Amino acid sequence: MDLPKQIELLFRENTPLASKLADEIAKLAPKVTEKTGLDKIKIMNFCGSHEWTTTHYGLRALMPKEVELIPGPGCPVCVTPSSDIENVIKLAMDGYRVYTFGDVFKLPTVNHYKKDQIGSLAAAKAEGADVRIVYSFADAIEDAKRDNKPSVFFGVGFETTIPSYAVLFAKEKVPKNLLFYSATKLTAPAAEYAVKIHKASKRTPVSGVIGPGHVSTIIGAISWDFFPKEYKIPAVVTGFEPIDVLTGVLTILKDLYTGDITYTNLEYKRVVKPEGNVYAQEEIREVFNVVDAIWRGIGIIPKSGMDFNEKFSNYNARLQLGLEEKPWDYDLPPGCKCNEVTLGTAYPNECPLFMKACTPARPWGPCMVSMEGACAVWARFGSSQRVLEALKEVK
Amino acid sequence: MCWAVPAKVIGVDSDVIATVDLGGNTLKKVAVGVDNLNKGDYVMVHAGVIIAKLSKEEVIENIKFIADQIRETAELEGENPDEAVKSFMESVSGILKDLESEK
Repeated sequence: MDLPKQIELLFRENTPLASKLADEIAKLAPKVTEKTGLDKIKIMNFCGSHEWTTTHYGLRALMPKEVELIPGPGCPVCVTPSSDIENVIKLAMDGYRVYTFGDVFKLPTVNHYKKDQIGSLAAAKAEGADVRIVYSFADAIEDAKRDNKPSVFFGVGFETTIPSYAVLFAKEKVPKNLLFYSATKLTAPAAEYAVKIHKASKRTPVSGVIGPGHVSTIIGAISWDFFPKEYKIPAVVTGFEPIDVLTGVLTILKDLYTGDITYTNLEYKRVVKPEGNVYAQEEIREVFNVVDAIWRGIGIIPKSGMDFNEKFSNYNARLQLGLEEKPWDYDLPPGCKCNEVTLGTAYPNECPLFMKACTPARPWGPCMVSMEGACAVWARFGSSQRVLEALKEVK
Repeated sequence: MCWAVPAKVIGVDSDVIATVDLGGNTLKKVAVGVDNLNKGDYVMVHAGVIIAKLSKEEVIENIKFIADQIRETAELEGENPDEAVKSFMESVSGILKDLESEK
């Protein structure tokens, strides 16, 4: 049996182990609330894939009443500002070939191009623009080389995706006719921002964080040490299978109970190193600088994005094509609560548009577009029953 | 966009591009985001780039981490930690044996 299959059996399909972990969580949780005086142990994730696992496998149904699992700012597609999409649509309509990933294709804008007719890259393509969905930046490079047309890659993504751009620029594999529009974002500054919002408000504070496994593969588990050290909040970097997330919750409860909150626990040891992927970090530093970035519906989060350094400025679409940043305060369509969903201050089903005016087939807000948007995940996998039924069989 | 999938390296084409099998003989050319990549390595692929290598030893280390958490929780709850770990090991023994025999 090959390694991926063994991992799947162990971490995804091991129901007796899931049952054991759920029992341990249920026993420890009341002791933690009693000791800490908290009403709820609120645990926030920062990755759309963690939200997917939590909802798809019904992990919330396994939690005792003391534990609440909430999604945080973990979807790069959801937080791409409308003004960036509008800029790229304009380029497409002006005759540039635009490459991007599939889940960016349907992202809705607020201000539509051409008398309110074109409000997404999908709509631009329907109007005849050359918009191409690619699996990877490498595929876009091959295509752009072959046809040698003026092209732009709409570069969305967190730290996990940024290396796919950086290695190819650093190794000078990108043709001159392919410019790059960077809408990349960094997870940790947004995670800190979200936790601060909860702390500053009268809401239940965040008591523990589940760090994103694949982002941490690049930046390293130690990048999350600021949560235990500065905020006394336990942090654990976990993988994406149900056993990983359940182990993460148990680890956080144990840390809260003992009060031993000094460093980030690393559960996803099979992929993540404490120091991260040093090779990828060097390639990223070679190409990009950290910059302030606008998060859709939220505003500017300092030092939370990446754009080209001077050496690679010839590829910078914003710079080379004179594209301006627009104000961000109009960034969501009317009635949309994606900003609150992104910050974990509202669940998707608390938005009045959820599964009414906004559905996966016809998304109104950005969190309903990508499969990693919390609204899209909740819309598809809202039920937790299947896990409860599976566990009943084991017991 | 943070979902990565395991794959096997079929060939290292250059310092930047490798061919991987994503499963079911689905071959894909991807960017190389790690150093010292070799044919036959298991890797994690995300959005067309290899972000990490995957080894049996690291999977076993992962299992040990979970066992440690279960042991420490049992201690906190005044239960027998050895019994707790034994029960955990039973639930993973088959796969662990499989993994260790292939080292």
